[in-house]
Amino acid sequence: MVETIDLHKNYKIGKVLYPALRGVNMKIEDGEFTAIAGPSGSGKTTLLNIIGCLDVPTKGDVLINGTNTSQLTSKEKSSLRRNEIGFVFQTFNLIPVLTAYENVEIPLILLDTEPDRKRETIKSILEEVGLGEFINRRPNEMSGGQQQRVAIARALVKNPSIVLADEPTANLDSTTAKEILGLMQELNKKHKTTFIFSTHDQLVMDFSRRTISLRDGKVVEDKTKKRGPG
Amino acid sequence: MKLLYIAWRNVFRHTRRTLITAAAISVGLSAMIFMNTMMNGADKMASRNIIDFETGHLEVFAMGYYREEGAFPLDTIIQDPEPVIGEIERVSGIKAIAPRVKFQASISNGIDELPVLGMGIDIQKDKKVFEIVNSVIEGAYLQHEGDVLIGSDLAGDMDLDVGSFLTIITKDRNGTYNAYDLTVSGIINTGHPLFDGNMAIISIEQAQELLAIGHGVTELCIRAHDENKLAGLKRNLASKVGKDYEVLSWKELNAAIFEVSGFKRTAQFMIALVVIIIAAVGIINTMLMAVMERIPEIGTLKAMGFNNSGIVRMFIYEGGIIGIFGSLLGCLFGFLVSLYLVYVGLDFTGIFGNMDIVYPMKFLIKGEIDYWTILYVFLFGIFVSVFVTLWPVRKATKLQPVDALRHV
Repeated sequence: MVETIDLHKNYKIGKVLYPALRGVNMKIEDGEFTAIAGPSGSGKTTLLNIIGCLDVPTKGDVLINGTNTSQLTSKEKSSLRRNEIGFVFQTFNLIPVLTAYENVEIPLILLDTEPDRKRETIKSILEEVGLGEFINRRPNEMSGGQQQRVAIARALVKNPSIVLADEPTANLDSTTAKEILGLMQELNKKHKTTFIFSTHDQLVMDFSRRTISLRDGKVVEDKTKKRGPG
Repeated sequence: MKLLYIAWRNVFRHTRRTLITAAAISVGLSAMIFMNTMMNGADKMASRNIIDFETGHLEVFAMGYYREEGAFPLDTIIQDPEPVIGEIERVSGIKAIAPRVKFQASISNGIDELPVLGMGIDIQKDKKVFEIVNSVIEGAYLQHEGDVLIGSDLAGDMDLDVGSFLTIITKDRNGTYNAYDLTVSGIINTGHPLFDGNMAIISIEQAQELLAIGHGVTELCIRAHDENKLAGLKRNLASKVGKDYEVLSWKELNAAIFEVSGFKRTAQFMIALVVIIIAAVGIINTMLMAVMERIPEIGTLKAMGFNNSGIVRMFIYEGGIIGIFGSLLGCLFGFLVSLYLVYVGLDFTGIFGNMDIVYPMKFLIKGEIDYWTILYVFLFGIFVSVFVTLWPVRKATKLQPVDALRHV
């Protein structure tokens, strides 16, 4: 479960203090498929970064499975990210010198996974995201959609409890975006992993069961569909 | 292991940049090896020239002679060398002893007259201590009284050949001028400027007669069995010959030259330092660029759960790989150039040939490779490349992951 309590984040640009989050309170249960929506500058990426321990809040707390992340040391945060959180970035952020297989392998190396199990897990997740035949390709030999699939496989391979995806479809055409969202939805159902997206794309919101809308750093709407694909 | 693999991949993702950095390292390192080989060779040649022609390993003087050596004081010579030689022969570790008489003289070919250092040698015993006999390039070694050996440069200056006559003139012990006519029996080429350009070598008996010193000699030159055990041998000798004599090693006798050598080492160190700084700046520049452009990548690795030490380690491996690569190249290249120095040598005659320098060697320098230096230089190259990587990467890991991800 992810919970934020009175979360504030201020950026200082020059001498001006710019508030990106102004007291965000929300609770996301295990296995949810949730979109954090809002126009650009509403604070959604900041919120995701703070949840993922990539950034620190100015005030307030984030609880991940009951652990208050603001009390963790940098090493403990690394460990939390290593074990519990998978990231999918808008720009994919694959390591350019490594193949699809090797990119997906990194999280498992960090977890000291036993070699045979590692090999099987990587192959099966790459097949699951539809890249069974591309395992030896480097990022520059793949399309945007394929790269994002690798990124999703990399986020999911360690079986995290939470996947945070920052505008995962923003660099993709609508057909590919739909495929990727469908894939993530499927994986959410199959692995019961919590998915949290930031997006301003209506398509993503259509796919998600719950949409939390942010505006000027505050939650303005929290809508759960009664029945939907998510 | 995987970190090393990723580092290896990263190193070769910009082949050209890696090659340029490796080349910068290798040029610096090979220059260091080259300098070292040349300096070692120069020192070794100078030492060999001193030991093989000038002093042997140790020399015994009458007490007080050496202090006044420049004035060639004929009153403080070893008046009766036989008993002293007898004492010396009883010390173990002595290979051979040769008495010599040194004196100031001038030689004349009938037209020109030149000041020289006269030296009387024991024709048989000298061969066992010194290499003069093996450096005769024309004619023959001394056979009997009336023969003189001169150096090739002096022969050129005085227009003398084997069989030419010359007159040697000196003052004897009583201050009376004395002169002998001599025949050039042979011309020597030792590589020692003093011997080749300013020396007239005659038999010791003739020198003693010329100087009216009876059986006296100015010094007893000793060759040891093991030149690495001279300190102990010197102590034993000193206690054996007693207070009336002093024993000095070839190094002590040439302290001034080894001061020059020390200066050379400092100069060599300064040159090496400049080379290192240039190479290090090149490496820093490359590594800085490599780290800066990959800060977003560092952010991604952090997001995946890499901790700072893992990231620092990866970059250290990268610096290390470039370092090993550059150092290998540098050592190989340095070694090849050194081989050229060892077998062919560098001829500085054109630059220094006419300079009157105290350094006891000529200006064809042959190298002497020190394999330890090559090993140290190799390790040093790797150390520098790793060390200069640390600063930018430590700086990059201090960023919050989100700042690293956003970094452009």
